[in-house]
This record gives sequence, C-alpha cells and structure tokens, in this order.
Amino acid sequence: MLPISKTIETDLVVIGGGIGGLMAAISAAEQGTRVVVLEKADTRRSGSGGGGCDHFFCYLPEVHGNDLDVIFQELMESQIGSCYDPLLTYQFMKMSSSIVRKWQEWGINMKPYNNEFVFRGHAFPGRPRIWLKYDGHNQKAVLTKKARSLGVTILNHHDVLELLHDGTRALGALALDNSRSEPSFVLVQSRCVMMASGTASRLYTPMSTPSTMFNTANSPANAGAGHAQALRAGARLVNFELPYRHSGHKYWTRAGKGTWIVIFKYPDGSNVGPFITKATKEVSDITSDVWNNVFTDMAREGRAPIYMDCSQIDEEDFQCMMKDFESEGLTSFLNYMGKRGLDLRKQAVEFGQFEPYFLGRGVEIGVDGQTTLPGLYAAGDVVGNVRGAIAGAAVYGWICGENIGKRYQDLEIKPVADLDLTRERMEFFSSLYERKSGAPWQEGNWGLQQILTDYAGAGPERVRSETLLSAGLKNLRELRELCKAEMKVSNSHELMRAAEVFDLLDVGEAIMLCARERRETRGLHIRKDYPFTNPLYNKKIFYIERRNGEYVVGMRDKYK
Amino acid sequence: MPPVIDKEKCIGCGLCVEICPCEVFDIDHAPKTVPVVLYPRECWHCNACVLDCPRKAVDLRFPLHYMITTTDAAALNHKAGD
Ligand SMILES: Cc1cc2nc3c(=O)[nH]c(=O)nc-3n(C[C@H](O)[C@H](O)[C@H](O)COP(=O)(O)OP(=O)(O)OC[C@H]3O[C@@H](n4cnc5c(N)ncnc54)[C@H](O)[C@@H]3O)c2cc1C
Ligand code: SF4
Ligand code: SF4
Repeated sequence: MLPISKTIETDLVVIGGGIGGLMAAISAAEQGTRVVVLEKADTRRSGSGGGGCDHFFCYLPEVHGNDLDVIFQELMESQIGSCYDPLLTYQFMKMSSSIVRKWQEWGINMKPYNNEFVFRGHAFPGRPRIWLKYDGHNQKAVLTKKARSLGVTILNHHDVLELLHDGTRALGALALDNSRSEPSFVLVQSRCVMMASGTASRLYTPMSTPSTMFNTANSPANAGAGHAQALRAGARLVNFELPYRHSGHKYWTRAGKGTWIVIFKYPDGSNVGPFITKATKEVSDITSDVWNNVFTDMAREGRAPIYMDCSQIDEEDFQCMMKDFESEGLTSFLNYMGKRGLDLRKQAVEFGQFEPYFLGRGVEIGVDGQTTLPGLYAAGDVVGNVRGAIAGAAVYGWICGENIGKRYQDLEIKPVADLDLTRERMEFFSSLYERKSGAPWQEGNWGLQQILTDYAGAGPERVRSETLLSAGLKNLRELRELCKAEMKVSNSHELMRAAEVFDLLDVGEAIMLCARERRETRGLHIRKDYPFTNPLYNKKIFYIERRNGEYVVGMRDKYK
Repeated sequence: MPPVIDKEKCIGCGLCVEICPCEVFDIDHAPKTVPVVLYPRECWHCNACVLDCPRKAVDLRFPLHYMITTTDAAALNHKAGD
C-alpha cells in the first residue's frame, strides 16, 4: 500500500482553497480556530477565480437604498434564482455589503472606476442593478496572504480523495500528497470540515472542442470532488437534474459574457434581441441572459451564427471593456487578440452555447452553512441551494467560517486512521498505482462524457426519458466497474485525475437518478415522456441522499 | 493551450510549476532547471504562468482549433443599412 506521509490534527480542515475555502479559513482563523487548507493546486492561482473576476452581485444600502427586498426580488426573478432557497438568498444579501468592504480593505479593488461603487453588466434596461463592477485580478493572491497572516496552514498540491466520516458526522479528510510525483497519503483529523471544492466540470463531452477536455468555462480541475464525497458521506444534494449551460466564444470557452458591451446580431446585421439598440457600459445586450439557448436555438433554425458586435460602441466604453477583460482574468484572450490580429472594433465574434456544468447544483446547506451531515459545512459553487459564483462563495464562505469559529469546540477530534472507510479508500487508490498495466484515466472520463451526453443530455437539442436514463445508468455502472478493474496510474498526477474520474462517475449517476425522478419538463431538463411543466413543482426542490447504502431521491419545499 | 518556455530567459525558479492550477508542468522540478511541460493537453489557458513568471519566459501557444470565429463588422452593419 502507498505510505501515509503525515497525519495532521486541527480544528477545521478546508477542502479546496478557492474563494469560498479561503474566506471560510480567514473568518474561522480570526476567531482563533486552527485551520488547515488542503488545496490540490496552489491557492494563489487555483480554481475558477484564479485569474480574476469582475462582477460581484451584492446589496449595498448606500447605492440601492434601504429596501433590500427590491434587490432580493431582482436576483430571484431575473437572475436564475428560481432554483434557490429564498431564505439563504436573503441571508446572503444581508451579509454581502460587509464582505465587499472587507475585500476593499484587504486590497482587492472594489471601486476601480473613480473610486466609487459602480454597478453594471448583466443588467436589464430599467431594472435595478445587482452586479458590482470590481477588479479581481489579484483576488487569490490577496486572500492567500490574508489567510497566512492569520496563521492558516495552507497545504498546496494536496488533493482530497475522500471526506472522512463515521456515518454520523464529518471527521476529516484523506488527501494525496501530489507535490511530488511519488504518491503518498496525508490524513487530517479535525473537529469540523469545510467543503469548498468548486464546480463539477468535465461531466459532458465539450460542445466547443469535443477533442479537448480541458477547454471548459470554469476550472477543469474542479471535478465534482465535493459533490461526490459529500454524497457518499450521506449529505443531501439538490438540483442535480436541472442542467445549466454557459455560453461564450464558440471554440474557446473561457469567456466572460457579462463583460462584453455588445449587441447580438444575425448574419444579416439585424438585432437578435428586442432589448436595446445601442450598447453602452451601463446597459449592454441582455439577450443571452434572458434567452439562455439563443445560440443553439438559432443554429437549429439555420439562422446562426450569432455575432457579438462591439464595433458601434463609444471609444470610452471600448476601453472600459478591454480593462474589464483583464480584471476578469481573460488575459489569454487579450494575448490572442494581439497575436492573431483580432480587433473587436472591426470584427464581430461568434458565440455558442456550451455543455452543462454545475452552477447552483450541489450540496444543500442550512442558513448557517452547515450541510445535513453534522460537522460538514459548504460554500461556493459546490453548493446547490444558494447561488455560488464569486459573491456567493465569498459571503457564504465567510458565514461558514464564523459559525465554525463559534461552535468547533463542541466537537471532539477522533482518530481517522483506523476507520474502515480510510483503510478501504487507501487500499483502493493504492491498487490503481500498484497494478502492472491498464487503462489511462482519460478513457474513463471520455466514457462518462459520452454516456451523460447521450443518455442524460441537456436541452434544447437533447432530450431525456425513462428508457434513456435507465439504460444510461446501467452503462455508467458498468463503466465504473471497468474503471475500478482496469484503470492504471503511474504517478501522483495521474492518481489525482483518476480520483476525479471516480468522483465524476458518482456525480453522473446522481444526475441520472434525479433526472429519472423529475417526471416533467423544466428548463433544459426535457423529458419526452413527460412533456409538460408541473406547476406543483414550482416551489419544490429535488434532492438526493444516501441512506443505508441506497440512494433516495425526494422532493421538499423551498426554505422561505 | 500548451505553455512554451523560452530556455534563454528562464531562470528555473519553479514558480510556474507551483502555481499552475492544472499541474501541466512536471511536479518534480529540480531548482535552476527549465520546467518540463508534461501535460499540455490539460492546460486551461488561464495565463497564470505567463503573468507570474518573473522573467516573462512563458508564452501560450494557441491550438489551431481554439479559433475565435469572426465576421467583418462593417460589412455586417452595412447589410443592416447602418
Ligand atoms: C474567467 C472567469 C471569469 C469569472 N467571472 C466571474 C464574475 O465576474 N463574477 C462571478 O460571480 N463569478 C465569476 N466567475 C465564477 C467564479 O470564479 C466562481 O464561481 C468562484 O470562483 C467559485 O468559488 P469557489 O470557492 O466555489 O470555487 P473555486 O474558486 O473554483 O475554488 C475551488 C478550489 O477547490 C480546489 N479543489 C477542487 N477539488 C479539490 C480536491 N479534491 N482537493 C483539494 N482541492 C480541490 C480547486 O483547485 C480550487 O482551488 C468566473 C469564472 C471564470 C473562469
Ligand atoms: S516561472 Fe519563469 S523563470 Fe520561473 S521556472 Fe517558470 S518559466 Fe522559468
Ligand atoms: S496557462 Fe494556466 S493552466 Fe496553462 S500551463 Fe499556464 S498556468 Fe497552467
């Protein structure tokens, strides 16, 4: 068996040093909690926020006035809030301004324009603005420095393979030390665990470049670890059956739609949407926010390509947009423009819709940030019932850290080395390394992608049904057995990727189980055998959890 | 989008190896040597290695199929009669 290189004891272990994980670490450490962050890459640049972001949705009384409800309604009604719990969204809104002020104080520029709070992007004409424009290019470096200054231990290149638990509460984590190619295990036993591993990319065959798996909208290193590990540990997850799809430049998926100051145009030059006739930095074209499938729908009608046209915007707005691309971490796109001679004043860029990934599909948390598994907290894109994205990760990460700081002393530390789970997982991962020959991890990932795309595809162009989903489940389970029997890794990097594939397989299985239970059509979940939308489900959320070794899919009311 | 390191400029500090979110470089980097790009197909074109390299020694190669597809904006608007 692969060796255990160290065993660590702490009050809180954070899985994933992204935005949510670092914010939880900082707020818990401020209250004297001992914190260890396990990060598979390096917190200075890891995760979806590693390059920067530029929109932070929030409620600022000095800008929005004293009525929080107006902004709350805007988020719930117009900004894909429909699958979230109102109670948690409200709590998020209340806390958001204090986090904006903290970030400004720590050195993330929340007022890049004239030293004022400016709201724009993803904005409907005549509606309240909820997206604060900021410059997040250095956000990960700033948060890392802040965490370190408070004594947080950050273990970079430590990929978490399993959340450890005894069936009643979270107890720690089993990690892989991937800072050297020779793999070894690291055990962490703790009073509380914070899950902040981000979204689940690489589930479906990439729509943009089917041959290239890492051309994804959000970080391809976020591979459903938290979703799968929390699920296996018995926590409840929600919204798995409702696909979400992003859009951006057609063959290059790392894009920030909200930063573009554009009008969407048909190839004959006419406008696609009815919303505006001139784009400015205040109000750009909202067509694809309202009509999420516009690119696919028009391709199927033969009316594509749809172009993003910035050629008619004012020079000042153009300069703003270029600056905002940088704040948002789109510097490789800027380099591309330079190298390939792309000038957005002269050329309109084709956009397309991508494969589904997880945004607002994931672990269920309470208003205090705790999951249904005691001692396990979660925040950010791994969470399903309140919006993640940058602000959701930052604010709820903070809320989790605060509550952990208040409560961690109530829980004791238990040794994890002797748990059956720990032993079984270490033996399993070691076996992948020790076998003489076998299949590379990519084959398992491609297999999963083709199964999910074919049997649990997302609309508008793909449909689901009882027969498709049942066959898909059978195929996926067979693939998992093949992977267990034949996958071979040769170093820590490959072991990390293989573990990702096993997590993604569990996520895929859960997607199909939930999709089979939702016997209606809603959004991109198109059930050909149930072509109607059931109004009785409007205020419900579907969940999945494991009880006594079996999956249970159910439905609950939204938390008001 | 594989990174390409300029061997003349690189001082082998290892920062790119450390910070890459996808572990594209060989993790067993020996100090003062030029890092090895081991997993180019796992690059997310996040640009961190380009931005953070103290010697500006890293460049990203754009794969041919990561095209930004375009049309001439003046012609587009001419069609619409602007
Ligand atoms: C180019 C770009 C622009 C964006 N712009 C905006 C914007 O303007 N506004 C906005 O709201 N959102 C934006 N987003 C989305 C935003 O970055 C994410 O929603 C946000 O980072 C989520 O935070 P998180 O903490 O949940 O996850 P992340 O920040 O992605 O962090 C997850 C962390 O977990 C680590 N990890 C994963 N699995 C494991 C494991 N098994 N073991 C150990 N570590 C693990 C990852 O390496 C990563 O560091 C943008 C995203 C991109 C890619
Ligand atoms: S960061 Fe730059 S100088 Fe340092 S090892 Fe990488 S390429 Fe070389
Ligand atoms: S661009 Fe990003 S993902 Fe690619 S090698 Fe550089 S740091 Fe790694």
